[in-house]
Amino acid sequence: MFLVVFTPSDSREVSLDAALVRRLLQRDVNAFEELYDRHSRIVFALIQRILQQAATSEEVVQDVFLALWRNAAQYDESRGPFVPWLLTLARNRALDQLRLKSERQRRREDQTEELPPVVTMPDFEGSLDEQRRARRVREVMASLNPQQKRAIELAYFEGLSHSEIANALKEPLGTVKSWIRNGLLRLKEGLQATS
Amino acid sequence: MSNTDQIRDPFRELIEAYALGALDPEDRAAVAAHLATGCAECTKALGESQWLVSQLAYLAPEATPSEMLRGRLLKTVREEAAAKTSTPKSSIPLWMWGAVAAVLLFAFYNVHEVRVTTNKVQKMRAALEQQIKIQQQSARELELARREAVILTDPKSMKIPMPSGKEDMPMLQATWHAELGLVVSGQMLPMPSGNRTLQLWLIPKTPGAKPMPSLTLRPNADGKFDLLVANPPNAMYGTKALAITEEPEGGSPQPTTTPIWVGAVAGK
Repeated sequence: MFLVVFTPSDSREVSLDAALVRRLLQRDVNAFEELYDRHSRIVFALIQRILQQAATSEEVVQDVFLALWRNAAQYDESRGPFVPWLLTLARNRALDQLRLKSERQRRREDQTEELPPVVTMPDFEGSLDEQRRARRVREVMASLNPQQKRAIELAYFEGLSHSEIANALKEPLGTVKSWIRNGLLRLKEGLQATS
Repeated sequence: MSNTDQIRDPFRELIEAYALGALDPEDRAAVAAHLATGCAECTKALGESQWLVSQLAYLAPEATPSEMLRGRLLKTVREEAAAKTSTPKSSIPLWMWGAVAAVLLFAFYNVHEVRVTTNKVQKMRAALEQQIKIQQQSARELELARREAVILTDPKSMKIPMPSGKEDMPMLQATWHAELGLVVSGQMLPMPSGNRTLQLWLIPKTPGAKPMPSLTLRPNADGKFDLLVANPPNAMYGTKALAITEEPEGGSPQPTTTPIWVGAVAGK
């Protein structure tokens, strides 16, 4: 249940990805190869950061790209940009793997959607290229206090909940909640300011 | 502020954490129920938050997957394209679809029952898919373990001792099987400092050729090192030695330190 409005962008990168995904529907191997070459590094980097194990990470990268190849129709370009969608898919698969491995499926048991939820591209998104945005994300996160940054990383890379983070960091639950929300809002403002 | 706004605001404050997957189950269920009501503002905020959360991927240290993965993936994709299997196979067993049809037929006579029953079916389906995922993962791990066992025991495999130049370092043993891959293993290895990792390199026979980067791995807490490189390229025939260096987390495109372990590959 994630119907949202997608703000169209004239970004060439976005439209190139969308065009490549459309070609996947025609079983175009060259389009797949180009998508892989464009995005496999960030997908692998994300999955390896979550799993901390290169061999298993490559297995999950393979799963992600084969899922894209076999189910390209499930990506709807009118409902959001491609790369965040792909990264959400990659993160979900890696966290699933992490949970399978550690046998702690204590959370998100009701999260059954195969597809990542739709993401909406903010108006400013198309004006930043990927490298600048990556640099900006790192800058903003580095400006947070270390515990705040750690709380967000525990949630994003390790799939921990507010309570689990509070336990891990030995901080009050309310503090952790504020850190995470305010940190994400800072990140949003930081990316807007750069655009 | 209208009454509706007063009710909606508490949920709006949870949307970022919901997108991050950080809410505890109770809050998560409450937000999901609220979104199911179709609140346009929260739904829009969720889409934007999903985008924002996805940007955190750029915090991951840069890393490049191996060329072997690319080759393996493209081979699979080319084979599937050639076979013209354009219809993706469902992971749901056929009998499950039969059960869904039967359930829906029964529920046709009662709208309320349809809703309740469909929910149950969806949960069953989710549970089944989860089960299938677990089984597939177990099968994959078992397959890797089997492959490793065959590589280590097959008389056709080539043993490549990898002594260390440092006296206090234990020797590693590489075992290469032309069809199944390469295993590098060792015991009682010290943990690389900080976030650094160990990376395997294939040193080509061709004079002046650059070392080919392979996988990275850190020893486990007991100092055990067990690296499986499935489907090594034919380039192994053109490889004169294996080397392992210490590199930054995620590996490097070319060695940045002196090899700690080196093993000569016997001529083929």
